[in-house]
Amino acid sequence: MYAVETKNLTKQYGKTYALKNLDFTIDENEIMVLLGPNGSGKTTLLLILATVLKPTSGQAKVMDLDVTSQSTSVRKILGIAFQEARGFWRHKPADILRFHASVCGVPKARRDTLIENILKDLELWDARNKLFMHLSGGQAKRLEISKIFVQRPKFAILDEPTSQVDLRGKRKIWAQILKLREEGSTILIATNEVREAEYLADRVTVLDEGKFVVCDTVRQLKDSIIGGDIVELEIDTTDTQIIEQSLSQIEGTVKITNSGANRFKAYVSMAESWVPRMTDICYQNKARILSIRITEPSLDDVFLHFTGRVLKEESR
Amino acid sequence: MRNVLRLVWFDLKQELKPPVWIIMEWAVFLVQVSVYGVMISQLVTGIDNYFQFYAVGLVIMITFDMASHTGRHFVEHAHEGRLPYLLSLPISRTKLFMSIALQGGAELALMLAVPLTVTLLIIGNLTWVSAVACVLALFFLGFGVAGLMLGLSFIAFKSSDLYTAIVTGLSTIIIRFSTVLYPFIFLPPQYASVALFSPLTYGSDLTRLILGFDPSFLMNPYYAVAVLTALSVSTLGLGLILIQRLVEGVKSA
Repeated sequence: MYAVETKNLTKQYGKTYALKNLDFTIDENEIMVLLGPNGSGKTTLLLILATVLKPTSGQAKVMDLDVTSQSTSVRKILGIAFQEARGFWRHKPADILRFHASVCGVPKARRDTLIENILKDLELWDARNKLFMHLSGGQAKRLEISKIFVQRPKFAILDEPTSQVDLRGKRKIWAQILKLREEGSTILIATNEVREAEYLADRVTVLDEGKFVVCDTVRQLKDSIIGGDIVELEIDTTDTQIIEQSLSQIEGTVKITNSGANRFKAYVSMAESWVPRMTDICYQNKARILSIRITEPSLDDVFLHFTGRVLKEESR
Repeated sequence: MRNVLRLVWFDLKQELKPPVWIIMEWAVFLVQVSVYGVMISQLVTGIDNYFQFYAVGLVIMITFDMASHTGRHFVEHAHEGRLPYLLSLPISRTKLFMSIALQGGAELALMLAVPLTVTLLIIGNLTWVSAVACVLALFFLGFGVAGLMLGLSFIAFKSSDLYTAIVTGLSTIIIRFSTVLYPFIFLPPQYASVALFSPLTYGSDLTRLILGFDPSFLMNPYYAVAVLTALSVSTLGLGLILIQRLVEGVKSA
């Protein structure tokens, strides 16, 4: 059984498709990251799975429960942290979490301890009695995600969980997400932050314009880009031509450029298996390696490779 | 059911810490009755004791304000982003709507506590029976008005400014062109024909009948009950269907 399964899932607004015939699955106890630019359909998918929106057609199941016909049962096993924390202007963080925990059935005996621990961990303890409307953007966002960490649902949906949060806060949230997974939760995260995706994802699903593009592990996605790894070499040798020729014959080499007297730039697939072969060649040709730098493709490059478009202007 | 009560209490306790809004409404009512009510009742002739008639009218207006506030509140929730959160909670849609209705009912009951007691005292009819009968009639009216506001919520999804403008304008017309402050038989014909379409006409006349006012001044109570029932059922039903379709995006396809 999959934790989440969608078949031909479509959501249409007038003539515009927010999602189009989406088929995708999430395994139990997996962290799945949805990657895509704004407007790619990530949030729509999350809201359909959270039973907040209804699909136009197709089917979506969470833990084998249909999100349309068994929506109340679905809501009992999931928790969602929305992209923007809004709506409780005159309530205090501690009260909001206490309310959320009680409605979601967190046992009374554990409730206060859990809330205290999460508020302290996410550095909201001092702000616990401030009104929501007086919280900073980062604090409000941390409060939004705190609901999930207090609730500890079987299936957690996080929409851009660390947007507006500083790096220190991001690391704390990431640690909590990993801890949640260790406890057995399945987690679906929508983000357009590649670093977050790389750090957390067991698998990444790329969405673009409401359509499924590709789904795999971060490693596999990167390796799927032919010539995506770049190895920059500086070699102490007198015969650069022989070295260049030998290197170009290594399996996985896409292109070699000579970028200086003894400097080479090799575009290769799977640098981890290419580099040992390269060192053998240098050794056989009595060429000393002075420096080596390996750059693997980012998820930005993966997105560009599969869609022909950049993921996010600011990440260029 | 516990979750329904939790939802109601979560918001309601904010209104009560401290209950400034409620106390202000009570104060406004007391000032209006004791100053304006006394003055206007000296000027109006043709109705025995217009002061009592006026006090009941004020209670009806509070009911209308609170009920329309409840309907609008729901729409505001959608705009403030709170509704998606409520829709994601492990509560059935029916219970969620029930909690909103209960919260509106509780706020209305709180808001009416002092004005209704004072009004019953003014009329000289402060008994449990008249109080309960009166509250039931007012709640009946309240459901109809809240449903009307919910039914208009589809406008808010196009433009919240337009919704506010329409609701404000409509509220003014509904109150002015009704029998809230003047008996139906004294209204000029053109005015009276418009007042027949106002739910407040039926709500206020039914309440006054329950409180023992002269039936010759008032609308036929059977009509009033029929109109209020039709209004409550149709607008609440339509409002809930519309809201569900709009919020969950079914209609959008």
